[in-house]
Amino acid sequence: MEILIIILSGVLFTTAIYNLLQKQLLRIIIGTVLLSHGAHLMILTMGKLKTGLPPVLTEGVTDYTDPLPQALILTSIVISFGITGLLLVLAYRTTQENNTDNMEQLRGKSNE
Amino acid sequence: MSNLAVLPIILPLASAIILIFFNSNVKVSRFLTKIFTLIGVIVAGYITSETLFNGSIILETGSWVAPFGIILVVDTLSAVLVLTTNIIAVACAFYAPYSNLGEKENYYFYPFFFFLITGVSGAFVTGDLFNLFVFFEVLLMASYALIVLGGDKVQFRESLKYLLINLFSSMLFVTAVAFLYGVVGTVNMAQIAERISEVDQQGILTTIAFLLFFVFGTKAALFPLYYWLPNSYIVPNPIISALFGALLTKVGVYSIIRVFTLMFVHRLELTHEFFIWIAGLSMIFGVIGALSTNNIKLIVAYNIIPAIGYMIMGIGIFNQEALNGSIYYLIQDMIVKAALFLLVGIIAYVAGTSDLRKMGGLIHHYPLLGWLLFISAFVLAGIPPFSGFIGKLLLLDGAFQTDRIIISIIALGTSLLILYSIIKIFIRGFWGEKDTMKNLDIKSTKGMIGPVVFLLLFTVILGVGAEYFYPISNSIAEYLLDPQVYIDSVLKE
Amino acid sequence: MIYSVFAPLIFALFVPWLSKHKDKIHTGIFVFFIPFIIFLYFIQFIGSDFSPIRETINWIPSMNINLDFYLDGLSLLFVLLISGIGALVVLYSIYYLDKSEKLGNFYVYLLMFMAAMLGVVLSDNVFVLYTFWELTSISSFLLIGYWNFKDRSRYGALKSMLITVFGGLSLLGGFVLLTVITGTTSIQGMIEQVDIILSSQYLPLALAFILLGAFTKSAQFPFHIWLPDAMEAPTPVSAYLHSATMVKAGIFLVARFSPIFAGFEGFFITVSLVGIITLCWGSYMAVRQTDLKGILAFSTISQLGMIMAMLGFGTEAAVFAAVFHILSHATFKGSLFMIAGIIDHETGTRDIRKLGGLFTLMPISATLAIFGTFSMAGVPLPFLNGFYSKELFFDATLSLEGVSWLSQAIPYLAVFGSIFTFVYSMYFFFGVFTGPKRFDRLPKKPHEAPFGMLISPIILVLGVILIGLFADKFNQPFLLHAAQAVNSGVEYHEVYFWHGFITPFIMSLIVIAVGAILYLTRTKWNKIYTILPGRLSFNRVYDAIVEKLDTYSKRLTNSYMTGSVRTYMLLILGTTIVITAVYMYITNGFIINLHDTAEVTGLEVSIVVIIIIASIATLFAKNNIAAILITGIVGYGVSMLFVIYRAPDLALTQLVVETVSIALFLLCFYHLPKLRKREESTGTKLINLFISIGFGLLIIMVGISAHSSNWFDSISSYFVENSYKLGGGDNIVNVILVDFRGLDTLFEIAVLGIAALAVFSLIRLKNKKGAK
Repeated sequence: MEILIIILSGVLFTTAIYNLLQKQLLRIIIGTVLLSHGAHLMILTMGKLKTGLPPVLTEGVTDYTDPLPQALILTSIVISFGITGLLLVLAYRTTQENNTDNMEQLRGKSNE
Repeated sequence: MSNLAVLPIILPLASAIILIFFNSNVKVSRFLTKIFTLIGVIVAGYITSETLFNGSIILETGSWVAPFGIILVVDTLSAVLVLTTNIIAVACAFYAPYSNLGEKENYYFYPFFFFLITGVSGAFVTGDLFNLFVFFEVLLMASYALIVLGGDKVQFRESLKYLLINLFSSMLFVTAVAFLYGVVGTVNMAQIAERISEVDQQGILTTIAFLLFFVFGTKAALFPLYYWLPNSYIVPNPIISALFGALLTKVGVYSIIRVFTLMFVHRLELTHEFFIWIAGLSMIFGVIGALSTNNIKLIVAYNIIPAIGYMIMGIGIFNQEALNGSIYYLIQDMIVKAALFLLVGIIAYVAGTSDLRKMGGLIHHYPLLGWLLFISAFVLAGIPPFSGFIGKLLLLDGAFQTDRIIISIIALGTSLLILYSIIKIFIRGFWGEKDTMKNLDIKSTKGMIGPVVFLLLFTVILGVGAEYFYPISNSIAEYLLDPQVYIDSVLKE
Repeated sequence: MIYSVFAPLIFALFVPWLSKHKDKIHTGIFVFFIPFIIFLYFIQFIGSDFSPIRETINWIPSMNINLDFYLDGLSLLFVLLISGIGALVVLYSIYYLDKSEKLGNFYVYLLMFMAAMLGVVLSDNVFVLYTFWELTSISSFLLIGYWNFKDRSRYGALKSMLITVFGGLSLLGGFVLLTVITGTTSIQGMIEQVDIILSSQYLPLALAFILLGAFTKSAQFPFHIWLPDAMEAPTPVSAYLHSATMVKAGIFLVARFSPIFAGFEGFFITVSLVGIITLCWGSYMAVRQTDLKGILAFSTISQLGMIMAMLGFGTEAAVFAAVFHILSHATFKGSLFMIAGIIDHETGTRDIRKLGGLFTLMPISATLAIFGTFSMAGVPLPFLNGFYSKELFFDATLSLEGVSWLSQAIPYLAVFGSIFTFVYSMYFFFGVFTGPKRFDRLPKKPHEAPFGMLISPIILVLGVILIGLFADKFNQPFLLHAAQAVNSGVEYHEVYFWHGFITPFIMSLIVIAVGAILYLTRTKWNKIYTILPGRLSFNRVYDAIVEKLDTYSKRLTNSYMTGSVRTYMLLILGTTIVITAVYMYITNGFIINLHDTAEVTGLEVSIVVIIIIASIATLFAKNNIAAILITGIVGYGVSMLFVIYRAPDLALTQLVVETVSIALFLLCFYHLPKLRKREESTGTKLINLFISIGFGLLIIMVGISAHSSNWFDSISSYFVENSYKLGGGDNIVNVILVDFRGLDTLFEIAVLGIAALAVFSLIRLKNKKGAK
């Protein structure tokens, strides 16, 4: 099953990157969201999946799933959320100021 | 005493939070910022002297023993970098009131400024790989906020690109940390190092090492990962450019130094040998970029890249002299870049343009500015007796000792072109007829020159007084070459 | 001795203040005393019983970089030249530069140069020498650019700086290499270890580095091109830096390192060949010039080539001749530069085509010029030091050993070069002072220079005569020591004016005879310059390099700095994929191990499939709402997986975050333009697909390998054991978050806070703008 989840994560990365390479801002933002999903699943898989009960101490149980990746993912989810929020506002404002949501039109005269 | 280790992070964090409440009162904000940065320097200076005389300061946060809790490790390298960061912060704090931020100063400039310092200092002192990611996010988030501050069209455009590329590299960072956790089962740097050495850095670990290198390389703006840098660094106010140019890329360099002197040191022929090529290409492409433009801010921004190349060259060569050179170069380059960004900011301000083709004869109106630029050209090119020379000399020494001729020649050639790229600004912008620029209204540079002189003075001290600083960087290099010292100091086994 | 190096620098600090009073008293008058006192101080060391002196002040002892000053015969010669000519030049400049000029800057640069040059010739430490070496380049740059309102000045300044700093950096490379080979930073220390250096595999490289430094500084072919353009500097500067001192720094360096390299054949070949070619090319090109200072510049190039060649020969006779000529050249060339300056000053032009017949109007200058030019030409008269130089030079060319083709060719080339030297010397003198008087075509009405301006050239010409008449008075107590520092075998020989009809004298006669004919017939043959150099111009090469550097750097940089995120991402991703994959392959990084995996269940598979389909569907979504909902499906799917994999906290958080995110998305997307059809060429599509699949595959492979390598237990067991005991909580994840890794959480909140603040300021900014 781990292998399958890793492949799933890989697919998420693939689609994320494909979206990131698009011109339209909206698709790019969707790409970033997919990217963080992929990364989080990967963290989860790096602890062993399903080797025990949820990591909430219960009497008489010694076998729990790896809690550390879960903690890391939680931190990461919150951070990603913050960035996504900022990105959305930024995208909105950029589109308004520059009158386009096409990244190819947002190149600017690069080396002048 | 180990609680000292948390001060470099907590002080700026507290400053940031306090300043949020004084946001509307610019005068108080300015005053407090100056005070806070000065306190920062004093504290960082004290910490540095502590590490010099009593060794690394280790703080197990929440008293959880390593490797389970998050460990803060302030060794001399971290301490010196924190100190340098704080010195730059002082210069920026004193420059800020004159930097024509205008109403932008009211948009939480000062809190963001301190959040940035928090993130940078945190990255320097943490001994935990995941925690490093968190501090990266702190400093990046602050940098996103700063870069877009003011909200010009161009700023929106460039900050969006900056954010996207950094977002990608952050996600790759998390993934790489996850992979590493999958293999060695820990995120504590010392323990990672220990475990990697136990399995003799198997293939998969080297592969992950490369992923991490690309993550840090993107932050550090190495070839071929630096595309996001030049344009995004020139759109905000010079003071923000100066902070970015001095600090952000250097955090990437620091991470490379840390990771590739502590953890992945068992396959030098694969990893470090590769870095040397990357270093050489960074020098070449960076300096070519600097020559390609007539925008003075862009010239300085491109000049970040070859400097990073020099630092990575030392890590790649990986002997005492070269590492020493890298450290020396790193410290002095932070200061020089801050000074230079501020300087071209002033020049662009007084000239009313940053296009070199429209400038000329400024020396007749702003002689001091001209001479400061002239000096910084030589500082940057590593001409003695300025600080860049010491670093470059050590790097060359290290390179020749290990028979690395080509990279040495590239490094020397790059110095010449770096000099050319800056002296071009001097010749075209400052020399010439007095009235080359028609309708030039003379503006006051009051308060702006001081911080630049303050920073350049440091580069002179680091160069002329190298006798006092060489032993420090030398001991850092020696310490970095023996990762066991770090591991033992953290794990205490 | 050390003070004498720093005295000019310290005095330079006072110059700006002194120059404020320049209307009352010319700043140069104060400055004059500095070189003059230094000259007087050092002259005491002249004497037959001279032995080297060393003084040291520590600078950076941990890196073996100390102010280690070493005065031997060679440095004494140069120190006296620098201070002596320096004093004369300052004296001359008092009359040459008007008080309306920026005297403060001029004298600061000049003093800076003086200190630097003294430092170069006195330093025994290679890195201190290098420091001063670059300082001479810098001060020369500033002096050439003194009249920087002129385009030519800026061009010349940049050119000289680029070429000499290029050489300087190469020199640095050589010094570091020698330091690595010998383990010492002292030149004398290196000389003691000459055997180690000669047996090192890096000998040729070190030599090449150092010679490149010397050749660029001393304007040797083909790096000579900067010197003619350096003539844009005020004439006192040309006389001082670009004739008597700075350009001789390269000569000094080769002389200084001769004891190390002379035993290596490559040294003989390179230095002699470059020197002799420079001699010929310089004198050949000098005849073609029309600017007086241009003639002198090429003449200097040629003379430097001659000295360089003699150092390359390395024999006792040659080294002595070289040292002798260093002194001779400084005297006659210095005086000629000053006369050229006088002519420029008094007539308003330096164009030899406009000048002529000035003898009657400027008799003193003309007389001085006779001595200067005839000495330069090597006319056999007992009171001209140039003649002795030339004789010694010819003599040296005749007794060469080593590479035979070169040794045999050198005497002929020497004669060839000297013939042209004769021609341009005559051309200079007769072109200016005799011939038709066309004063009406001159910008100014010419008259003799003020006496003050003539003092310095008179003293120099006296030097020419005295050295000629009493050569031995200079040789034995002074020049001999200098020569011995270069080649310890040099012994004292008396120099005679007449030593019979021996070969060198015959060579001199040939030079004069052929030279005279060529001079008289020069209008007939000067078309030859359209063939050689014709279009062949090293200046053009330099210009092309600088220009191409500009265009190609633009082209290259613009080719990838497109401003498009897609380009950047493609390049970053492409590199990451290729390099990581290659190294994974090299290190056998890929491992797969299915033993320790959870079983595959239908529920999970179906969720996985749904997520995959949804994530692919995001690519094809055609409107905003659909796109957001599909993205939401991925998010909720992931939370489902969290539930299945025993991560209740994650699942909960993910659900909340996902829901809030969707709300945010909807809010923002409402304002964002509608999704359009993706319009891209098949090629673009393919590249995107290729890169994204490549990256996905890489992640999968690394992920599988990372997961399959179970060498260590996770540290997590500690958290399980101690969560309640030490952390006081049942929910291990929560305990980790708030306790074990509390710092993470604190700064995670900080990140969120900064984001909120940033969003707030973005929106507030907008409102303000909107209000306007």
